[in-house]
Amino acid sequence: MTGEALWSDRLRKVYETRGAPPVEALRGVSLEVHRGERVALLGRNGAGKTTFLKIASTLLRPTSGRIEIFGEDVDRRPDRVRPYIAVVPQEGKPFFHLTPREQVYTYLRARGLARETARARTESAIEQMGLESVADRLAITLSGGQRQRTMVATVIATEAPLLFLDEPSIGMDPFARRDVWDSLRGLTRKGSTLLLTTHYLDEAEVLSDRLYIVEGGRVLVQGTAEELKRSVGGTLKVTLQGPGIVADEFQSFGACVSDGSALTVIVDPPRLAELLQIAVQRKLTAGVGPVTLEEAFLRVVGRSINAE
Amino acid sequence: MRSELALAPSRAFRGLGSFLWTEILVQAHEWLAMGTSMVVQGVLLVFVWILDPSLLPVSFLGAILFSMFTMGQRVLNEAAYLRIDHKANDLYLASPMTPEGYFLGMAIGILVVYVGPVLVIGLLSIWVVPYTPAIVLLLFLLALAVWLFSASTGYIFSTFFRDNRAIWAYSSLFFNLFGVLFPVFYPLSLFPADLRSVALLLPPSAAAALLQSSIGATSLSEAQIALAAGGLAVEVTLILLGAILWARRTSREA
Repeated sequence: MTGEALWSDRLRKVYETRGAPPVEALRGVSLEVHRGERVALLGRNGAGKTTFLKIASTLLRPTSGRIEIFGEDVDRRPDRVRPYIAVVPQEGKPFFHLTPREQVYTYLRARGLARETARARTESAIEQMGLESVADRLAITLSGGQRQRTMVATVIATEAPLLFLDEPSIGMDPFARRDVWDSLRGLTRKGSTLLLTTHYLDEAEVLSDRLYIVEGGRVLVQGTAEELKRSVGGTLKVTLQGPGIVADEFQSFGACVSDGSALTVIVDPPRLAELLQIAVQRKLTAGVGPVTLEEAFLRVVGRSINAE
Repeated sequence: MRSELALAPSRAFRGLGSFLWTEILVQAHEWLAMGTSMVVQGVLLVFVWILDPSLLPVSFLGAILFSMFTMGQRVLNEAAYLRIDHKANDLYLASPMTPEGYFLGMAIGILVVYVGPVLVIGLLSIWVVPYTPAIVLLLFLLALAVWLFSASTGYIFSTFFRDNRAIWAYSSLFFNLFGVLFPVFYPLSLFPADLRSVALLLPPSAAAALLQSSIGATSLSEAQIALAAGGLAVEVTLILLGAILWARRTSREA
């Protein structure tokens, strides 16, 4: 294995459908994922995240551009790339008539792992995903969250050098999501690299070293969660509620977002006291909290939508 | 196309054995469907016995061949279902396992699980079919050819669907075209003479005609035997090769 875990240059994908106008799902995506990194692709539905993941995982051919995994050209040599990768597909389901234990084990065997290794990794993945109590129940009898945990267990057990996870914790309860996060962190400690998509921005923030925000098939911004949050223009958000609030009054403090009943003002800590003083004078209710990735995401993507 | 064929044999079918075992585990839970298919075939054979016992040898052989055909057709449903509903293609094809290993593993897994009822019909047929070692060998080869043809076409067709429900109509079409309309369960001699060469070009009826001829239930000219046997060999070879190449090609647009 040589090169970056993943590297793409001006990757484009146009879907041609007979009788319908072509859809340009990717419009020149260039990104890189370093070895051992956890990187999240964020974007609205239809932004191009899954298309990118499908191309990267050898399942879809790009229209143009270049993509490499560990120095191997994904489009020209998918057979060389496939041993290095494993994928949790979006909305994937385990075989309904296999138990989680059978699902994980048979998948590892299909990937060519020896029996003993497959057995040991199966048990470890089942334990990490908290599936011990249902490990011998048919997947058809499991809840949606348990099935998704089975899918994640199947893929993390491979310990593949590069894992693609398309919305890995969808449908899971908060405890199960944290189990998944712990397991994924453990995998990168062992040397694996992760590229995931998620709509849970708290998950992206907690789990990833770097983030790419994608919109309309283009990368809008990339950086750490902290960098993206700083780009909002402040590190604190103040939510004001009360009669007669006008955004213009507070715009000198930072960006303002009104959702009808409340006004959110993004502000830097040195100006917080001043802002709260005005709120007290105006007899407004004020709540203070840190800026989250969600604000950054909404602002970045919202700006792009407005620009179009 | 040349590069599609360039994989070394050891790598070309990587994962086949393990996925075959996966499919056996999955399909074994469908024991009710297996039992039902057995009962349905049994009832049909009883009808034939009541209507005309002399047709029983032909019907038994037809039942064996058509069971092999329907087992192949299960690949159509299974491959589409796993791809559309479970996204199993994404999981298995983005791995060291090869696309042809996935296709053949699935097909053979289904065969292993569902072959039981066919063996029962085969054992019962000893009662009415005048078997010789040569006829048994011929039956084995023809049943294998019919299954390969059906599984290969099934896999290829499965890649064209985006909705499982759309497959049902085509499944019944294949069922009626290959098993009911053309002579599989009944002798070729009852089929319109002008259309017999068409029947001999369809693998299930070609295989049935060759078997019927081998037990003396239908008389075939040398040209007809050549057409049936040659056509069957060429069609099965081409469609199997086509399915392997198609599996490789469509693994990039899963």
